[in-house]
Amino acid sequence: MSTTTEHDDDFDVEDRSLSRFDLVREGARRDGVQIVHYAPKFPVPGTKREKRVVRTIALLFAITGLAALAFLISYIWWPYEYKSGFNINKYYTPMLGITLGLTLLSIGLAIITWGKKLLPDEISVQDRHDQIADETERKLTGATMVHMVDELGIKRRPMLAKAALLGLAPVGALAAAPLVGGLIKDPHHPDVLVHTGWDNKLTNNGQPIRLVRDDLTPIRPEDVSVGGQMTVYPGIPGGNTNEYADSPTLLIHLRDEDATKLRENLKHVPANRDHMYGNLVAYSKICTHAGCPASLFEQQTNILLCPCHQSQFNIVDNARPIFGPATRRLPMLPLSVDSDGFLIAKSDYQQPVGPGFWERP
Amino acid sequence: MKRRNVDLADLPARSAVQIDDRLQVASPLRRLFNKVFPDHWSFLLGEIALYSFIVLLLTGTFLALFFDPSMQETKYNGSFVPLRGIDMSEAYRSSLNISFDVRGGLFIRQMHHWAALLFMAAIVMHMLRTFFTGAFRRPRELNWIIGVLLFWMGFLEGFAGYSLPDDALSGTGLRIASAIMLSIPIAGTWVTTSLFGGEFPGTVILDRLYIVHVLIVPGVILALIAVHLGLLVKQKHTQWPGPGRTNSNVVGVRMFPGFALKGGGFFMIVFAMIALLGGIFQINPIWLFGPYRASVVSAASQPDWYVMFLDGSTRLMPPWEFRWHMFGNYYDIPPLFWPTVVLPGILTMLPIFYPFIEARFTKDKATHHLLQRPRDVPARTAIGAMAVSFYLVLLVSGANDVIADKLRISLNAMTWAGRVGLLLIPPLAYYVTHRICLGLQQHDREVLSHGVETGIIRRTPEGRFYEVHQPLGPVDEHGHGELPYAGWVVPKKMNRVGALLPTLRGFFKPVETVDDVENEQSSNAPVSPAPSRHHEIGTGGRS
Amino acid sequence: MTANNRPLDPGADTPGARPLDRDASSLGAAGGRETAHDEQPDMGRAPRDGRPGRRGVFTRLAAPRAPRSRLRRRAWAGARMVAALALVGGLYAAFAPNVHAEDSSTLSGAAQQGQTLYNSSCITCHGRNGQGVPGRGPSLIGVGSAAVEFQVTTGRMPLNQQQSEADRKKPTFSDDQARDIGAYIEALGGGPQLPNGSDLHSNGDISAGGDLFRVNCSSCHAFGMGGGALSSGKYAPSLNNATDRQIYAAMLTGPENMPMFGDDQLTPQEKQDIIAYIRHQTNDQDPGGFGLGRLGPVPEALVIFLVGIVALVFAALWIAGKS
Repeated sequence: MSTTTEHDDDFDVEDRSLSRFDLVREGARRDGVQIVHYAPKFPVPGTKREKRVVRTIALLFAITGLAALAFLISYIWWPYEYKSGFNINKYYTPMLGITLGLTLLSIGLAIITWGKKLLPDEISVQDRHDQIADETERKLTGATMVHMVDELGIKRRPMLAKAALLGLAPVGALAAAPLVGGLIKDPHHPDVLVHTGWDNKLTNNGQPIRLVRDDLTPIRPEDVSVGGQMTVYPGIPGGNTNEYADSPTLLIHLRDEDATKLRENLKHVPANRDHMYGNLVAYSKICTHAGCPASLFEQQTNILLCPCHQSQFNIVDNARPIFGPATRRLPMLPLSVDSDGFLIAKSDYQQPVGPGFWERP
Repeated sequence: MKRRNVDLADLPARSAVQIDDRLQVASPLRRLFNKVFPDHWSFLLGEIALYSFIVLLLTGTFLALFFDPSMQETKYNGSFVPLRGIDMSEAYRSSLNISFDVRGGLFIRQMHHWAALLFMAAIVMHMLRTFFTGAFRRPRELNWIIGVLLFWMGFLEGFAGYSLPDDALSGTGLRIASAIMLSIPIAGTWVTTSLFGGEFPGTVILDRLYIVHVLIVPGVILALIAVHLGLLVKQKHTQWPGPGRTNSNVVGVRMFPGFALKGGGFFMIVFAMIALLGGIFQINPIWLFGPYRASVVSAASQPDWYVMFLDGSTRLMPPWEFRWHMFGNYYDIPPLFWPTVVLPGILTMLPIFYPFIEARFTKDKATHHLLQRPRDVPARTAIGAMAVSFYLVLLVSGANDVIADKLRISLNAMTWAGRVGLLLIPPLAYYVTHRICLGLQQHDREVLSHGVETGIIRRTPEGRFYEVHQPLGPVDEHGHGELPYAGWVVPKKMNRVGALLPTLRGFFKPVETVDDVENEQSSNAPVSPAPSRHHEIGTGGRS
Repeated sequence: MTANNRPLDPGADTPGARPLDRDASSLGAAGGRETAHDEQPDMGRAPRDGRPGRRGVFTRLAAPRAPRSRLRRRAWAGARMVAALALVGGLYAAFAPNVHAEDSSTLSGAAQQGQTLYNSSCITCHGRNGQGVPGRGPSLIGVGSAAVEFQVTTGRMPLNQQQSEADRKKPTFSDDQARDIGAYIEALGGGPQLPNGSDLHSNGDISAGGDLFRVNCSSCHAFGMGGGALSSGKYAPSLNNATDRQIYAAMLTGPENMPMFGDDQLTPQEKQDIIAYIRHQTNDQDPGGFGLGRLGPVPEALVIFLVGIVALVFAALWIAGKS
């Protein structure tokens, strides 16, 4: 075959003896497409099979219309407000899904059936010869581009190139500056990654901070059941909110023999030496691996599990990681009791809480 | 025939003439109409992704009308009883509002989420097809790279969307994301506090993610899709080898009307599938999770499936932390860095460079428009199987707590199985796949030289049994054919070479008679004499 | 707050103090909880009082009853058992089972029937008078009727075989029989008891319960209440089939590895709030269609591939197939 765009002078579009398909074929030929096989599915009109196909498609369109109507009706009249329990409102979303799905599905089936069963069988072959690089063209374009550079005379006037480079470089920085400058935030001033809400100098004017429940009520040591755990927050304004997302703490009341074991083990971590109060111990709830609340407390095996990546901590050994990807112990909060008998934190955590980072002290 | 010409002149598209006078679009338009598309089901996988993306744009626009990404604290007062009076962010409140107080809002939200899952699933299927058939080879390396980038853009887009409702599950995900950023050496802390505007979670992250989710990333995806499709049109589609199909042509149907009808119909079917999923299967029930609070978490906290493999790699990572003392300070690389920063980096770079690596190893610099059957390139197929099995181990490990709970397996055992499996299964998959490919190749060659097994057993006068083979072409004196392998399916059953007629049409009862079929088929049956339904070879046909 | 606030118990929390004593005294005082709003005017909220239904529950719970012990239903060795008993103190010793328990005449009618059931079905592992059998079953002295009711009505006890964690199964005894056994165990050594009635959710505040559930329960039982995996094959069970009384008993007694939530930690009202939330959620039809077990993204991943991709690949096969 000849190239795609070449006009065949022998072909006269005005020739009245040509059928429309001849024109189609010629158009395709000029586009590099040869229609090698083109046969109508139903050469004889009105056969049983053709009628059947036509009926099927018509039926599908009818279903489309009905389903669309059903969608509109359920959208407008089906009760959609939320109501507790089992009730008809809960079928609102399924109704919409089924009716819309049916609508679109029957359109799709109708169109594809039309395309598959009624359109003529066709095999067309398209050439790929426009995908072969043309050496001549390449040379001409290359020359044009090199000439462009020549005309600027950069080779002759090298100073201009350097000047332009020097002058434009700051412009590039200028484009990045607002983005970087606007977003950038120093992680060390204030040192947010090291201090938590339990740091009473920063959050409570140096007054000791009470441990409080979710509803901000303070806690007496005996409030926590033996073999129980309680999520506690620093007793400062907003202490239980996400403003202090690294402060949630797990207060655990160990049984006697477990507490004895832990007291025994405290010597392994000198920083934790005086942190227990009676049989009570408080660990950061924020996992040292990825920051999820490690709060699946198994009170018989004394394991604390993190549900995100399954790190496991042995709470009778200073929350030593014993399984999973975590590498660091959960920091222990130093506990004491104030004059009213409520639990307080003696100070902030001695180690940074939560996931590790490059410059972690 | 004179009438035809008059018809042309009388076309109602007089306006078309007016347009063409001004724009001269007749030629390029016809070129587009006449573009030939090859027909194979596997070429439609990418279309699923494209259509899901359109659905995502439509449903996402609806959701944007009602969603407010503000992290301002507010009290819920909507119709979902168990959360009334609870403090929550405006973002979560408006997500609940979409779910319960906007008519059809829950349906659109669920469609949006299912479409996102389908988008990513279709991208992965499409990538697998492209990889295993060698469609990424020269000249299509660039389009392959764009595809890889589209996967990661979809990943980012999905994660941002997952984080927006500010429920307890998405907040947990965001917290892990902040931990991942923190784990980056040197720059980690600066990147994290800069993006979150201070300490996690801060008050700005959702506003930022929102603009990322509705403008920046969709814009990038849209641009990449445009280039992806533009390159497809420019370079034309690949095709399977077969009769008349060469490296320098495309055999199929023209875009109009055949391909366009099928494509449009398929769009409707994909859309319907998403609507059915959105209506029938509940997805991401944020009202069960409650508002995000740093102290709240649930068992079985998982990301969506396309992020789950990274969750899996994080779970399997052994507790290795690098920490050293230098210049009076400690420095440390947390264990989170390797499975969530380094691994995705490798998983981006490896596929991007794979076409060039393969070309270097095979010294194949030629241009390819014909696809390869996976069995014909055992090494690549085996590498692909290795990659897929690696991915699947990670994916399963990302769900290991749910699997452990539902199937009563020890959680610790699941983790260890994943660690061991990650090292053992991929090489095993490589070996097994390689062997299977070679076996399939050998079978193809056997059939080409000996013919198709007929299932007919003969006995020689000496008492030896042998099976009669139907040769596929002319044979030499030993009964061996010399057909070359054409890179395409070799018929291996007798009905594939026309020994049996296709069954009668009709779903519940036949809609055609035996004679109808007889007249149609006998003319072009490749074996002679043409099989007849009245004496066909051993089936229980309906004659 | 209420009038039955107990005085602070100074010295109770010095290291080594006996939790048994402390709990016995505090629970005997009907589980009131100190709140801080007197002492701490700056605490903003004082949410512990003024809740509806609070006083009613208190009156019910304040009925005189035997002191409790917090001895765990746990596989204690016999020696440890004896040592622990020796530490318990005079009040406890008065109820020590080895003195009088054989004398059925001191038992109520229900407890006597419970004793009969106990002697036929529980004695093999838990020993005569609930003293426990080393290596077989823990002592039941002091576990209270709540623990018995939880274990027996959920079918966990009697145990079929020794395993890492007892599964919920069809109960062997009726609820009444379970209560009888509970009465017997209660008579042996006291312990936590459940409030009366089978409806422990109607007085609860669903929203408040939801907040408490998410902080205290969801980490193990999951947001969808389908339960979850714990370490090494242990698991937190699904809450879908649990009755009000069972949930209440579980919180009160901390069966297996579940932490205990005594009345000082979660007040009876708060426990009812949590139960009200669980009841509401387990009885709430999913508004978005089939809920996929409320298990989160894992079943969603299965659906998108097994339903979505599979169906669309079949559609593609049909579309591209020869007609």
